[in-house]
Amino acid sequence: MAYWEIKNVSLRGVTGTVPNHPVKSADLPFFTKEEADTFDNTVGIKNRYIASDDVCASDLCFDAAERLIAGLGWEKNTIDVLLFASVTGDFKTPPTSAILQDRLGLPLTTFVLDVPMGCCGCMYGINVAGNLLSAGTAKRAIVLVGDTAMRMGNPKDKSRGPLFGDSGTALALEYDPTADDIIIDFNTFGSGFQALMTPHGGYRHPVTKESFVEVDYGNGIIRAPKDALINGLDVLSFAITRPPVSVKKMLEHQGLDKDNDVDFFLIHQANKLIVDRLVKKLKLPIEKVPYNLQKFGNLGGASILMLMASEIASDLSTRKLTLLCSSFGLGLTWGTMVLRTRPMLVLPINYV
Amino acid sequence: MSNLEKLNNIFCEVFGVEPSALNEGFDKNSVEGWDSVRQLSLATSVEDEFDIMLDAEDLLEFTSYENAKNILTKYEINL
Repeated sequence: MAYWEIKNVSLRGVTGTVPNHPVKSADLPFFTKEEADTFDNTVGIKNRYIASDDVCASDLCFDAAERLIAGLGWEKNTIDVLLFASVTGDFKTPPTSAILQDRLGLPLTTFVLDVPMGCCGCMYGINVAGNLLSAGTAKRAIVLVGDTAMRMGNPKDKSRGPLFGDSGTALALEYDPTADDIIIDFNTFGSGFQALMTPHGGYRHPVTKESFVEVDYGNGIIRAPKDALINGLDVLSFAITRPPVSVKKMLEHQGLDKDNDVDFFLIHQANKLIVDRLVKKLKLPIEKVPYNLQKFGNLGGASILMLMASEIASDLSTRKLTLLCSSFGLGLTWGTMVLRTRPMLVLPINYV
Repeated sequence: MSNLEKLNNIFCEVFGVEPSALNEGFDKNSVEGWDSVRQLSLATSVEDEFDIMLDAEDLLEFTSYENAKNILTKYEINL
C-alpha cells in the first residue's frame, strides 16, 4: 500500500489533561543540579507533569473526553467509536477502552478498541477511527491518547526516566462527506523491536522473581527485566534516518511546498536533539515547527494532540490549516500524516 | 583557533574533560557517560562549529575521538 487516504472524516475538537504536579529536571533523583542544567539545555525537557501512583492514563483521558464531549455538545448516545491509544492501560485485561465506555456513559453499541502503539498512538488512532467512520456507517468517534510512561521504567534508570511526562488527550472525529482526505504514510520495522521494549511481563517472559533483579549497566542505568528500556543508540539510529525519508516522500506525493503549503509541522516531541535534527535535515521553516517538550516532556502517542491543544489552539480554532505530522516509536513504527483541518473546538489544557 | 582546537573544545565541553584526555582511547566504551544523547549533542555541536550537516551513518559512527577526526576529513575539514 502506498498511502492511506481516509475520506469523509473531519476533526471536530481536541484537548488534553495533565496531572497538576510539575516536576523540573533538577527535582528528579537522577541528577545533580549541574547535570540537570546540561539535560535541560541538550535534551530540552525542562518540565514534565507526573501523575501520582493512583492516577492512570485512563483517568487523564477520561477528564479530557468528558470536557470535549460536553464542549462539542454531543449527546453521548451519538458516539459510535471509542479508541484508547496507550501502553499504560488500567489492567492487562480487559481493554481499558471498554472500562471507559462505561465510565463515560457511552451507549452499549459503542465499538471500543485499545491501541497499544506507543509514540505513534495518535496516528494509529486517527487511521483506525478514520477508516471506521469513512463509510458513514459510524458517524462519531472519540480517540483517547495518553500514558503514564515514567512508571513503566525503573526509578533508577537515568537513560529513560527524565524523558517522559504523563498526559491524557482526546480528539473528536466525525463523518463528513465534505471533509478533505486524511493522508497517512505508515511503516513498520519489526526487526528493530528490541530498541524499545519491556522484556518481562508478557507471555514470552512472564513475570517471575528474576523479573525484579536489578542490573547496573553503568552511566546511571539500573533496571530489571520488568522495566521498560530504551536502547538509546538504536533509537537514535532509527529516529534520525526513517522519519525524514517518510516526511520527504509525503511532501512530494502531496505536492506540498514545505515553505508555503504547510501551516505547521507537528513532530513527535521525543527530545529536542531529535526534533532539531529532523528540522535541520528537512530544512523546515522553524517558525512552523511548534515545540512543547520543554513544558510536558515526551508524551508518547499524545505528543501530536498535545501540540495541537497547547501550541496552535488559536490557529486550529479559527482558520483552515494544513498540518504535516511525523511520529516514530515502538515496534519500530513510524509515519507521516497530512491533516487539512477546518476550524474546530480546542479546549485549554486542564491540570487536575 | 585551529580546527583541531575547535574540535577539542567541543569534546572537552560535552564530556567535561581536559584536552590532555583526548587520545586514541577516548571512545564510547571507555568514557563514562558516552550515551546516545551525548553523541547526538557532540555531533550537533560539531556541525554547528564547522557549518556542515553529517549524514546519518557518519553521525552514528561518532563513537570515538579518532572517528570524529576521520569523519571531519570526509567533509573537507582540515585538522
